[in-house]
Amino acid sequence: MKNYLKLLNFEVNRFFKLYLTLIGLIIVSQFIGAIVVSKGYMNVTDQVINKNQLSVSQYIKEYGLFSFEQFVGSEWFVLPILFSIAMLMIYVFFIWYRDWFGKNTFIYRLLMLPTERITIYFAKLTTIMLLVLGLVTLQILLIPIEIKIVTSIIPTDFRSDFSSSHFDSLEMLVWLYPNAFIEFILIYGVGLILVAVLFTAILIERSYGLKGIFFAIVYGMLSFGVFIAPILLNVFSNDYFYALEIFLMLLVMSIIVLGSAIWIANHLLKYKIRV
Amino acid sequence: MIEVKNVEKKYGRKRVLKGLSFTAEKGEITCLIGINGVGKTTIMKAIMALTPINSGEILIDGKKIRKESFEKVTFIPDTITMLPQMKICDAFSFMADFYKNWDPQRAEELLQFFKLDPTERIANLSKGNMAKVNMILGLALNVDYLLMDEPFSGIDIFSREQIAEVFTSHLIEDRGVIITTHEISDIEHLIDRAVLIDNGEVLKEFSVEEVREKEGKSVVDVMREVYRG
Repeated sequence: MKNYLKLLNFEVNRFFKLYLTLIGLIIVSQFIGAIVVSKGYMNVTDQVINKNQLSVSQYIKEYGLFSFEQFVGSEWFVLPILFSIAMLMIYVFFIWYRDWFGKNTFIYRLLMLPTERITIYFAKLTTIMLLVLGLVTLQILLIPIEIKIVTSIIPTDFRSDFSSSHFDSLEMLVWLYPNAFIEFILIYGVGLILVAVLFTAILIERSYGLKGIFFAIVYGMLSFGVFIAPILLNVFSNDYFYALEIFLMLLVMSIIVLGSAIWIANHLLKYKIRV
Repeated sequence: MIEVKNVEKKYGRKRVLKGLSFTAEKGEITCLIGINGVGKTTIMKAIMALTPINSGEILIDGKKIRKESFEKVTFIPDTITMLPQMKICDAFSFMADFYKNWDPQRAEELLQFFKLDPTERIANLSKGNMAKVNMILGLALNVDYLLMDEPFSGIDIFSREQIAEVFTSHLIEDRGVIITTHEISDIEHLIDRAVLIDNGEVLKEFSVEEVREKEGKSVVDVMREVYRG
């Protein structure tokens, strides 16, 4: 456990500079976006009102209120999130391959640590999850500030009433603010399983070389197949099952997929891995 | 004792190790000799479970390798095993963090012996100095067995001399060392046992002292006999 925490700390530190850059990018882009989108809206509004000699209520009647979704749907908000997701997806692979390639093959050191080798896998897996959850937390913290920025620029008359608690209606943010704890577990649990399966696929490739790429793809497809089997079963049986039954079956399948990913990774790291 | 018994290893269809066997005792320096590509590095990796073997068995003091073994045996590969952005002192604290057997005092001594600056980044070190740091990472562990892969390869003569000096010091005494080389001349006077390997097989295993005393032959003489027939 101690070694796991040390490795986790070590792995997080290795990505930290890039992570801070991502955080900076999100903050700067979204704050600038909040200002640009709000000011842009007010400029257009002023122009339309002046040009057509409209009263505020007439304008609202014709053009509607400013909704926070207009900002959330803008490139300023979405692009840094997409960029961060892409970076983290790349890092899922890079977190392993960086240890094999380059002049300094750090994987020698990692595999020679006096600890169970699966600890390395868990530390890397937790690192990815922490990085993801860290960005989610950041986004949750940023939204109230962005609301403040927008509301300070757009007067009350021109906007719908929005506060953090009203986000259930924003589809974009369902991923950030799952409605219930169970939804949170589902969304990020599936994410965890996906990363675990990818990690195991990487280790299959690292253990068997070129042949390993083929095995890894087959393994990935099998895992996916097992995971979605209950949904397919329900489709082919014309919705024979209750939602709760499907959910329980998915849960069992998830445990099987995650358990086998860890078991295979442990076996490969112990007996098959090549440096 | 490290026992390598009938080890076979294939890369695809190519058999790299063909039922290779030898032993290395504690307190002795055993040298695996052979030209490049005969499987010397593969043996080292196999001992450390860094590459799987197809058959055979490797035992360290009678036991198969497990996590505890890494406090007992360590491997110094021909490439440094720390991150390039780390300073030497960072690399040392990494070792201290994970290994109970890390001896910080000895690391410090070696650092002074090699005249290295602990605040230097690994990426900025010369090849010779990198080899020395790599050597310290292994030597400052209180392990019973040290495996060294071509420690003299590609480094300047003064660094070679310094590293060779370490072999005659208390740092190596009482430990079992397995060292590989394709140039025996650097370390002929240091080794106790020689294992001549060719094409994944042991051609001859002998005590250097015994051969020198009884037959009046050097390691190179024996190599000539064995390799040239």
